[in-house]
Amino acid sequence: MKRRTAIGVLGGVAGGPLLMPLDELRRMLAWREQVLAAVGPAEAGGAGSGNGAPAGDDTADGAAMKAASLLTPARARVMEALAEVIIPETDTPGASEAGVSGFVAALVDGWLDDDDRDRFLAGLDSVDPACRARFGSPFAECAPGERAAFVRGLDEELTRLREDPAADESLHFFHDVKRFTLTAYFTSDVGLDALGYRTTFRTFEGCAPLTAAEAGR
Amino acid sequence: MTIARRDLFHIRPRRQEYDAIVVGSGMSGGWAAKELTGLGARVLVLEAGPMIVPERDYAEHLPTYEMPYRGWNDRKALAAEQPVQRECYACDEVARKFFVNDIENPYTTDADKPFLWIRGRQVGGRSIMWARQCYRLSDLDFEANAREGYGVDWPIRYADLAPWYAHVEAFVGISGRAEGLPQVPDGVFLPPMQMSCVEEQVAGAIDTAFGGRRRMTIGRTAVLTRDHKGRRACHYCGPCHRGCRTRSYFSSINATLPAAETTGRMTLRPNSIVAEVVWDPRAGRASGVRVIDAETHEEMEFHARTVFLGASALESTRLLLNSKSPDFPDGLANSSGVLGKYLMDHTMGVGARATFPGREDRTTRGRRPNGVYIARFRNVTEPSPDFLRGYGYQGSATREGWGRGMSMPGFGAGFKRDLLRPGPWSFGISGFGECLPREENHVALDPEQVDAWGIPTLRISCAWSANERAMMRDAALQAAEMLEAGGGRDITIDTEMTPPGLTIHEMGTARMGRDPATSVLNAHNQAWDVPNLFVIDGASMTSSGCQNPSLTYMAFAARASHYAVWAARRGEL
Repeated sequence: MKRRTAIGVLGGVAGGPLLMPLDELRRMLAWREQVLAAVGPAEAGGAGSGNGAPAGDDTADGAAMKAASLLTPARARVMEALAEVIIPETDTPGASEAGVSGFVAALVDGWLDDDDRDRFLAGLDSVDPACRARFGSPFAECAPGERAAFVRGLDEELTRLREDPAADESLHFFHDVKRFTLTAYFTSDVGLDALGYRTTFRTFEGCAPLTAAEAGR
Repeated sequence: MTIARRDLFHIRPRRQEYDAIVVGSGMSGGWAAKELTGLGARVLVLEAGPMIVPERDYAEHLPTYEMPYRGWNDRKALAAEQPVQRECYACDEVARKFFVNDIENPYTTDADKPFLWIRGRQVGGRSIMWARQCYRLSDLDFEANAREGYGVDWPIRYADLAPWYAHVEAFVGISGRAEGLPQVPDGVFLPPMQMSCVEEQVAGAIDTAFGGRRRMTIGRTAVLTRDHKGRRACHYCGPCHRGCRTRSYFSSINATLPAAETTGRMTLRPNSIVAEVVWDPRAGRASGVRVIDAETHEEMEFHARTVFLGASALESTRLLLNSKSPDFPDGLANSSGVLGKYLMDHTMGVGARATFPGREDRTTRGRRPNGVYIARFRNVTEPSPDFLRGYGYQGSATREGWGRGMSMPGFGAGFKRDLLRPGPWSFGISGFGECLPREENHVALDPEQVDAWGIPTLRISCAWSANERAMMRDAALQAAEMLEAGGGRDITIDTEMTPPGLTIHEMGTARMGRDPATSVLNAHNQAWDVPNLFVIDGASMTSSGCQNPSLTYMAFAARASHYAVWAARRGEL
């Protein structure tokens, strides 16, 4: 893009060169040219891709750790441990690196309606007592096989409810555990990396061969 | 943007400083500003909402992990502040700032007739969040009212508007494919985007199964497939409604307002709520507008030789209804009594979806800001005994994403591996149907309610008629048949029409016509009653067609602007 045109575009949207101090215009122009360089013909990279916050970014973890959060450290431990069983570390990171409890704390404290929140928290609170009774340890300290067996039981309950026309699976706390986990993971930077997510593309391809990652490892 | 705002506040009324006042800075107002200033006029653009600065306000690349609710939206804030706006898909966690606060901007409806009025009040208006589809109307549409005796005849035909379509298309930059279809005439196109494998497959199958009577084409969209007039080609990031720092899709901020700005003849004043068009009874003309500053609530008047209303269909009509005088006790330019009547929208929500086995070795690459379009065939190539007019379909076929895991059994390494791979091909298409112009679908001033600035609000009364319902029953059935013909499995039908308004193609209420007794505007979007007043947005529509209307508003705005300048030069304004 010609520099002159860029000035015109910027000036117009900002109210015009006459209304904008020159140093402000220069600052915005510099920013813009960085963007254009990033999204230019070169396919790799692109503005906003791959340079975001690290896993479990400060804001989310900070929210989880706030004393005021109803997702207490004990509940967060259960949530994180359940999430890691649903999306474990393989050749890519698992849910425990995705800041799950930060997201869930935000939902618990500011998103869920009170009834739904209370049902979800009661569900989380039932996990450790059930595991102590069954395996002699809280969930997070159970052996891997015990944790898998426990989650399998919850998942099978959910499947039964889904297949029962008279039931509402969304009332089961594990429904929330699962959707919170998947969303937290696949929208996190580690999850997006695992998906091979890219922000920008040189063009749109309607019928592209699968990448090695998409084809299955 | 504090610096510009300080300077903008120096803009104060001065007598007859402007050749034209343009009310609204969105799709229509932006075009009037560009064309009028380009022809030498000095223009004041008044925008009710704040300035938008792309480098500050656009957020299309904000990663989901930086959103507190990871794209699930701040639902409690939406419920409290935007209970209407949240019904629009684009009013999301990032872009909700581009939609109005419903508490500050109330309106009322009949209890049994919901109408969802989706609004954007900022420089750029709704052109920031629009879905960018662009289709020309044709004589099938311009002749429909006269042919069927429904509504009044359009005062123009396709030949009157065709050069203006070409004029705006050449500037906007619209990607699409020429098809030679008379019901959606070809335009000035940039290269088309690709269809996906399954879209190609279904397009071919439809052509065969329906003997060439039905045509699926790639959507015609105001998104650049190559660099165009100083704006960059699309980089396929996806969420256009959050803005576009490379100006790759058309909006007034990205294109028309900068063009007007470079002339040096545009003055743009944000936070300027126009409460009234001021009528000068001695001159028999509009003298200007009365403005309430959105932030200070200060009142002021601006004067100009002509006034253009592009505040959106219902806001422009509300403004006229609120402009009462002894000469016009029922609203300015309303000697006919039809101002506020014949409200239309397009039907939406009805269609079908299916999964498509095969082609599991292929996927789409990039997030295409566009879909496919099935041009109207009802009462074009295939008559319908059940309803007048017709509908087109929009949709897309892509592979399902990880979200499918929320309703799948399983957990652990195998479950994760499955979700990291693309899911089945899924193809959904949805019908957008024409709405008949009916007198009972109307807006009027609410006798009691005012907005946060004390301006009387609208009472909206609008419902779908039997014709629209019959049309959508057919749309659901035909959608399923076409997907089945294309090889679809597990076909499901969506049969619930969304309430009027939500399609955000609301139009009419200050219609054009041939007779001052039955219309508000003449063939040039000029008020019959007020020669220096033009209404250049969707309010002017005489019938709705079934095509996404923004392109038509742009063509009308450009055409009316040129007419006004020519008429002024000839001493006729």
